Amino acid sequence: MTAEQYLAARLRRALAEDPRTTELGVRVTVRGDHVLLSGDVASAERRAELEAVIHDVAPELTVLDDVKVTPVGEPEGREELR
Amino acid sequence: MIRVAAVGDVHLGEDARGRLRPALEKVGEHADVLLLAGDLTRHGTVGEARVVADEFGGLPVPVVAVLGNHDHHDDKPDEVTQVLRDAGLTVLEGDSVTISVDGNTLGVAGVKGFGGGFAGKCGSAFGEREMKAFISHTSEVAESLESALNSLETDVKVALTHYAPVPDTLRGEPPEIYPFLGSYLLGEAIDSTGTHLAVHGHAHFGVEHGMTPGGVRVRNVAQPIIRSAFTVYCVEPAVLEEASHG
Repeated sequence: MTAEQYLAARLRRALAEDPRTTELGVRVTVRGDHVLLSGDVASAERRAELEAVIHDVAPELTVLDDVKVTPVGEPEGREELR
Repeated sequence: MIRVAAVGDVHLGEDARGRLRPALEKVGEHADVLLLAGDLTRHGTVGEARVVADEFGGLPVPVVAVLGNHDHHDDKPDEVTQVLRDAGLTVLEGDSVTISVDGNTLGVAGVKGFGGGFAGKCGSAFGEREMKAFISHTSEVAESLESALNSLETDVKVALTHYAPVPDTLRGEPPEIYPFLGSYLLGEAIDSTGTHLAVHGHAHFGVEHGMTPGGVRVRNVAQPIIRSAFTVYCVEPAVLEEASHG
């Protein structure tokens, strides 16, 4: 358990500090041999880069990737502040 | 009615060039002004700033931006700001802009903001040089926001920041990192200046809606929260006027 926490912290810092990713908005959850990534990124390429950085730091882990590419459509409706 | 469009944390780079543009070209059908709440780039490089300039330049409404922490990463905030200004964007840091909309005036004051934490759970300018520098930066930024908001004499006043002025809009983020996500000093500046709306980004896992202790609406417009190219808030100057005198 303790080792998992340190590993998760290392992976999170790697995603934040590695120039390929610089993502602070991705959650990293380690459970046994699996690492779950979740959150949003701005392009499909960046999803792939996340997995590449995780693989470099912890090649033994299987990546479960729940990361989505942020939608960029027009807004539906608007909020009226009264 | 003044229609304010806003988005933050678009984190543009070459790989995301043009993604927002189709929706942005229709922003004039939705809004009178577009606010950008920082983290416009990934690494704060001049090259990425050019992508931002191309994405948000030449739109049918005025575009007003602040920078975020990502836009500082390459230590070139002045160059990034200049690239955005050359493309016609207004970039605020401790200053303000006034925009006329159908006979009413909208004032926007902006700063990047910084961390430090929220009332009762925050850092102090005490001890190590690094700690004093951290909290002093927040204090200086909050003072410049207050001064910029105070200088506005417009029908509607909006505070634009990257960091959060309240903890409400951070729900969903781990509470342990709140001191890195915002500062109550920004909220205090907003509450002391008759501001009508505060818009920020930075907290991708937070929520959209919040309120300052003084009752000012706060909206977190980080793109992962609003899940569109921008979102729109409508503010009615006459209603606000009545409310403030009532």
